[in-house]
Amino acid sequence: MGRWLRAALIAGATAAVGCFVWSSWLPDSQYVPTEISFAVVALSFMVAGIAAWQRWPASRLGLLFTIVGYLYLVPYILVNLANPVAWTIGNAGEGIYTVALAHLGLAWPTGRLRSRFERGVIVADYVQNIAFNTAATMFWNPAFSGCDARCPANVLLVRSSRPAWNAINTVEGPIGLVITGIVLTLIVRHWRSARGWSRRAMIPLLWIGPAVGAEVVLTGSLFKFSGQVTYALLPLVLLAGPALFVISTVRARTAGGALGTAIVDLEPGASPGLLRDALARALGDSTLQLAFRQPGGAGHLDTSGQVVDADRPDSGRAVMPVAGSDGAVLVYDEGLELEPQLVKLTAAAAGMALEHARLQAEVQDQLEQVRASRSRIVEAGDAERRRLERDLHDGAQQRLVTLSLALGMARDRAAGADPELEALITSAGKEAREALTELRELARGIHPAVLTETGLTGAVQALVERSPVAATITAVPDERFPAAIEATAYFVVSEALANVAKHAMADGAQVAIYRRLGRLVVEVSDDGAGGARAEFGSGLRGLADRVASVGGVLRVDSPPGGGTRLEADIPCP
Amino acid sequence: MSVTPGVAAPARPRLRVVIAEDAVLLREGLRRVLTDAGLDVAGVAGDAVDLVSLVAALHPDVVLADIRMPPSQTTEGLQAALEIRRRWPGTAVIVLSQHVETEHLFELLAGDPRGIGYVLKERVADIAQFTDAIWRVSAGESVIDPQVVSRLVARPRRDSPLQTLTERELAVLALMAEGRSNHAIAAQLYMSPKTVETHVGNLFAKLGLLPAAEDHRRVLAVLTYLRS
Repeated sequence: MGRWLRAALIAGATAAVGCFVWSSWLPDSQYVPTEISFAVVALSFMVAGIAAWQRWPASRLGLLFTIVGYLYLVPYILVNLANPVAWTIGNAGEGIYTVALAHLGLAWPTGRLRSRFERGVIVADYVQNIAFNTAATMFWNPAFSGCDARCPANVLLVRSSRPAWNAINTVEGPIGLVITGIVLTLIVRHWRSARGWSRRAMIPLLWIGPAVGAEVVLTGSLFKFSGQVTYALLPLVLLAGPALFVISTVRARTAGGALGTAIVDLEPGASPGLLRDALARALGDSTLQLAFRQPGGAGHLDTSGQVVDADRPDSGRAVMPVAGSDGAVLVYDEGLELEPQLVKLTAAAAGMALEHARLQAEVQDQLEQVRASRSRIVEAGDAERRRLERDLHDGAQQRLVTLSLALGMARDRAAGADPELEALITSAGKEAREALTELRELARGIHPAVLTETGLTGAVQALVERSPVAATITAVPDERFPAAIEATAYFVVSEALANVAKHAMADGAQVAIYRRLGRLVVEVSDDGAGGARAEFGSGLRGLADRVASVGGVLRVDSPPGGGTRLEADIPCP
Repeated sequence: MSVTPGVAAPARPRLRVVIAEDAVLLREGLRRVLTDAGLDVAGVAGDAVDLVSLVAALHPDVVLADIRMPPSQTTEGLQAALEIRRRWPGTAVIVLSQHVETEHLFELLAGDPRGIGYVLKERVADIAQFTDAIWRVSAGESVIDPQVVSRLVARPRRDSPLQTLTERELAVLALMAEGRSNHAIAAQLYMSPKTVETHVGNLFAKLGLLPAAEDHRRVLAVLTYLRS
């Protein structure tokens, strides 16, 4: 519907109301309250029309609302113009707005009638209404309404006859009732077959329908009591319809915001099912499907596992591809075509959420790979150290022991016979022993065999025994752990005790290793100067890396002057 | 160090020794050295399984076993030693180790420390001293490597009664931990046995240990004290 048409209709409406007020405004009129009511009701339909245009630009609902407003007001203006032709047309057109209301209800929410049958019903309704009103007008003398000399002439008047007028109206009653019944039945069927967004979109009609119905019933029954009260108050009942529609439209405007909230509220890493639920809530379409392309061109599957044909959706359904995703689509109620902007926003939000989830999964995956490769590197390093230590033990160390033995034998042979030679061999034997001692320390530093052989108990005891600072063990579990965990715990204690000796200026240190809630805690504390920080010193940083390689964390608590407490917290099933 | 002249003491019965060592050169060297020293090397084994079956067949007086042997190269020798002690309690065992670590030592001493030796492998170079150790374990003494003991004694300690010991008392303590008898300590430190007894009494009182008459109980008590 064009902007210009809309502007023209709005201008026309304003002119019509002005015209109405001007034409009917008599200083001493007893009808003033009635006329104000008419003007307000007519205006309310026009405002509802503008609202409908704003809300669903692709719908003809705005036009229909406006037409109802015109058809409501124009006949009264014409009647008041004191012109015979105008009066006659106005009189014949009085009440045609009720047909426009039926038209509006049946065409809800697209403004288009759904079938040829429905079009036939509405055309028939217009025709019968105009025909009967025209026929009745032929027998209505304007003087019947008591306007005396100021009465305009009825150009269609065939014969002035109240009984004929009454008879025509009596015949029209049941016919009108039947058509109204058909229209109401059709509307109920629309409601029952509507799903998702379309059903929600029909909710305002649920308010307008009863308002109109109440107006019709009350007009029939109250007319006899007091024309004045009836004409003043009844239009206000009708007012409820457009007013409620306008309110619902204002509330629907927040749907875009609801979309933002839905996305923000979505937990990071939420499942596609939860994403669909959030989008469905924001969109107001409970039938929304989020479907993903199956690998290998096997079509689409939605989040509840249903097969979806994204190329040929079921009737009443529409499809929108989700940008930035790998062939994902939104399948939604066709009625939502009236809100293309909202659907586009929803698809964009879905795209962002899916992209976010994909990136997150990717990052998670990479992190997992890095973690795995780090622990593989550390484990490979450990294995290499074990191999080196074993090579030293089986090779160089054994050879040096054998050499020492041979030197011992040689010395015993030389004893007494050649003192000079004996002294030479003794000194060579001493060198060999020194070499053995150095080699032993070297091998132990590379990998402590006692760790492999006895686990943490013996290995930590050995560390404590050779610690240059008095160290005691308060707890060590008497069980074996995976090699990587044992090695990590060992290096934590080793490095910590070395640091205590080097930097802490401590008199003593304590080592405690214990299990706590599926974790192995390694604790080394001293009574030294404190002030150590994990960020400084490559030793502590290397240790933190080492602990991280088995998924643990290293904490350093070292207040200046308050000693240092090193705690490694290692996951340990 | 007092050397027991094994070769020059024909009055003693020849000790029957079994050697278990996977390095062939070293094993043969040991066999030769010990034979030259007048011991009867009844058999040699290259791994722990062979060792146990040799002991079962030969019932030697003393077993020399390397801790690390095939197939897993961890503590087969130690396990074999423990098994031998369990099945043939009278057999003296010397375990040869490359480590100064005390974990294995205590595992070994935990049963009955009589006739047990824990000696660093390189000690074999001092043939006389090594032969002496074999004679000592065969006589039911315990032999603990001086290097292992000295490290335990030298450990830094806080608020320990050990710090109140005199230098002499510390020397006596270390020799006790090595498994020496009062007599041997007296000879080594050039004291009278009486003086040694006085020192032992004093230092036991200082450390709050109950005096033990038998040397082997004393070894364990002192080592446990030093290690804790």
